[in-house]
Amino acid sequence: MARRPGSQRRRAPSVEPAPRKGREGPDRGVAGRSQAPSGEPARPAGSTASPTSAPQLPGRRADGSAGSPAPPTARQWFVPNTPSPRGRVPGQPHFRLLPSPISGVRPPSAPLLPRCCPGPAACPGRSAARSPPSRSINSSGVFSVRFFRTTAVCKDDVVTVKTPAFAESVTEGDVRWEKAVGDTVAEDEVVCEIETDKTSVQVPAPANGVIEALLVPDGGKVEGGTPLFTLRKTGAAPAKAKPAEAPAAAAPEAEPPAAAVPPPPAASIPTQMPPAPSPSQPPASKPVSAVKPTPSPPVAEPGAGKGVRSEHREKMNRMRQRIAQRLKEAQNTCAMLTTFNEIDMSNIQEMRARHRDAFLKKHNLKLGFMSAFVKASAFALQEQPVVNAVIDDATKEVVYRDYIDISVAVATPRGLVVPVIRNVEAMNYADIERIISELGEKARKNELAIEDMDGGTFTISNGGVFGSLFGTPIINPPQSAILGMHGIFDRPVAVGGKVEVRPMMYVALTYDHRLIDGREAVTFLRKIKAAVEDPRVLLLDL
Amino acid sequence: IVKSGLILQSISNDVYQNLAVEDWIHDHMNLEGKPVLFLWRNSPSVVIGRHQNPWQECNLNLMREEGIKLARRRSGGGTVYHDMGNINLTFFTTKKKYDRMENLKLVVRALNSVQPQLDVQPTKRFDLLLDGQFKISGTASKIGRTTAYHHCTLLCGTDRTFLSSLLKSPYQGIRSNATASIPALVKNLLEKDPTLTCEVLMNAIAAEYAAYHQIDNHISLINPTDETLFPGINSKAKELKTWEWIYGKTPKFSINTSFNVLYEQSHLEIKVFIDIKNGRIEICNIEAPDHWLPMEICDKLNSSFIGSKFCPIETSMLINILHRTCPEDDEVHSKWNILCEKIKGIM
Repeated sequence: MARRPGSQRRRAPSVEPAPRKGREGPDRGVAGRSQAPSGEPARPAGSTASPTSAPQLPGRRADGSAGSPAPPTARQWFVPNTPSPRGRVPGQPHFRLLPSPISGVRPPSAPLLPRCCPGPAACPGRSAARSPPSRSINSSGVFSVRFFRTTAVCKDDVVTVKTPAFAESVTEGDVRWEKAVGDTVAEDEVVCEIETDKTSVQVPAPANGVIEALLVPDGGKVEGGTPLFTLRKTGAAPAKAKPAEAPAAAAPEAEPPAAAVPPPPAASIPTQMPPAPSPSQPPASKPVSAVKPTPSPPVAEPGAGKGVRSEHREKMNRMRQRIAQRLKEAQNTCAMLTTFNEIDMSNIQEMRARHRDAFLKKHNLKLGFMSAFVKASAFALQEQPVVNAVIDDATKEVVYRDYIDISVAVATPRGLVVPVIRNVEAMNYADIERIISELGEKARKNELAIEDMDGGTFTISNGGVFGSLFGTPIINPPQSAILGMHGIFDRPVAVGGKVEVRPMMYVALTYDHRLIDGREAVTFLRKIKAAVEDPRVLLLDL
Repeated sequence: IVKSGLILQSISNDVYQNLAVEDWIHDHMNLEGKPVLFLWRNSPSVVIGRHQNPWQECNLNLMREEGIKLARRRSGGGTVYHDMGNINLTFFTTKKKYDRMENLKLVVRALNSVQPQLDVQPTKRFDLLLDGQFKISGTASKIGRTTAYHHCTLLCGTDRTFLSSLLKSPYQGIRSNATASIPALVKNLLEKDPTLTCEVLMNAIAAEYAAYHQIDNHISLINPTDETLFPGINSKAKELKTWEWIYGKTPKFSINTSFNVLYEQSHLEIKVFIDIKNGRIEICNIEAPDHWLPMEICDKLNSSFIGSKFCPIETSMLINILHRTCPEDDEVHSKWNILCEKIKGIM
């Protein structure tokens, strides 16, 4: 072991400029001793330097505090080195420390800590290389602590990136940060943009690494050559977490901006009112499947290998928390049951085909079949007023309503909205189609007012647009029932003793059993079926 | 040396598709010795610069009513209004050959070749001024690692009244360090000389470009939705349409304003302090007098808004859910509605 007297002392000045704050050298683990953050090197045995001459490094005592016992003699605390299993720099003696009364003796690796490296704990990406101090009891009964070096590697790996020179005699620009401290970046990935005089210049990362510090605030002014940020280089490129976040976070992902007009749903909203399966989750219901953190397919990117097992957490936004709370409340309050039936859609389809053109000509509206269901529901609600009523839990009363306001769940690019058609009992198919069309138009132009979505005594939801066959909708409080429509599929059914293929739709009615009995619910649903299968029932009031 | 270069013209008037073409060329084409000129026009749209604040720059309410699109481009600079009376020109070069003044001089030569008496001059800020007074063109650019582009507008026959009403923000109390636009007096070239139509000018600029770069004067029409020609372009266009890009990229800003509500023949002032980061509400303090709306309800509103988008539609939906979770009596209910409509008005 090469130990030259005074060699450590020569090295000391390199430590001097090291920053004091934030250093968590491994020796902190040594019995919580206070320490001199100055990287005062341990003095070799036999050194002529007096061990008490702590202030070789200006302004610092070895123990970092007054009133501590004087540092022991070199002979006491320096023990000839035992080769450490790893991280040893040749020529660098390895020291063992006695726990007390020593305070603040810096491990030998400390002197080489460069100014930029605050210490192993704050050294991301290097943690694998640094292991916590291991303790062992040697034969003389004193603790010894081993420290493993990593610092020389750290020092070479930090890069300060400066503002690029500006073109065309521009003198200054504003910095706009794209990344934050602690972000992992790949080589050439944009870290910030400098905006100079109408020009946006990108500043890429020079290598893979982690952003250590941003040296200019967002929007701050810089000139060519101004240091912008420091990057700690690592070997690996970051995992492609971004794509995973994009679909999950951008919940209404395919939406256009507020001012834009989304073409695709425009046509469908007025005629079909295609809502999501579960009507009572207003916004962001589409990404119900996308928001689940576990199956983030983009994480297992091509080339990332099979069996990636990382997780991705995303805080629930307030709206989602509210939806969750509300749905749970609905479930906890109502005694929810669902009854099913099926509807033969052939008559309605035939009616639409027959009268479509005349309807379009007279009313300038497309004749959908939503109006058939809305009107049938209104009819059935008039026959069974209890389904239109609701329990007031506060006063323990049943509130019967003389008006029928039907909420229709509509999927917009922004998410689910549930506008209300008021006083349906007084409307005919044309009126209903007109209102649906207007509401759809408002929804498309993002103009639905709060009042448009307020209230409602009964809800209709249409999962059929997404191809749903069968399902149990959830009640939309404060209501007592909801009708779920599903997809129309050709099925063989028995008609007059023979098998025929008919376009069939399953319908579901979820109801609050506290208020509505099974018989009433079933009768209600059968009335809807009758009125849709043969609208003459409405005229004849059967 | 065989000179090479391209003159492209978009057949689409969709601002997002056309911006996506710029991105695509910037990212994928090798422009060494092969500069490209791209000519495009858009249906009515407002285009803000990369680091701007749309609430500060334009009248979003009016835009929503009129169906005017909002786009955020990737280059810096200020806010502009595009319609079919405006020509957009993008000059793609390598980073070394990036020279905005050269491009603008080319445009001036083209204009003068059609109308020699026309007094058009480039300014130090890379605007084009007509008769020394009226701005007919604004510039922005983007410099990447190896390539760069400089694009500018050219006002032929744009609806100027509409332009000024759209580019006037009604929103009060915004504090932000986003790049601000500098309003300017504008004029259409058609007003100066009715022969200067968009078609005439595009042809003239293309001819001048071809002459300057010694290439064929041939304009290639391109379809920005053609994935075989521009693989990956549709996803670029899609990204430009996302809320996260258009609104979410707004630098952090705060709003400190107030509005009045009518109550019992007097006006009550409601103060609003909102901090918005990435387009979402980070801090929300709506202060209404306690006798008008109970404090717990105000607090509930404040806490519900945190994390949600600074957007009137999202706010409507949020209020709707809040209604259902906390049913209140009719009077509170209607006050709540009034308050929320006012709040939506500042978004």
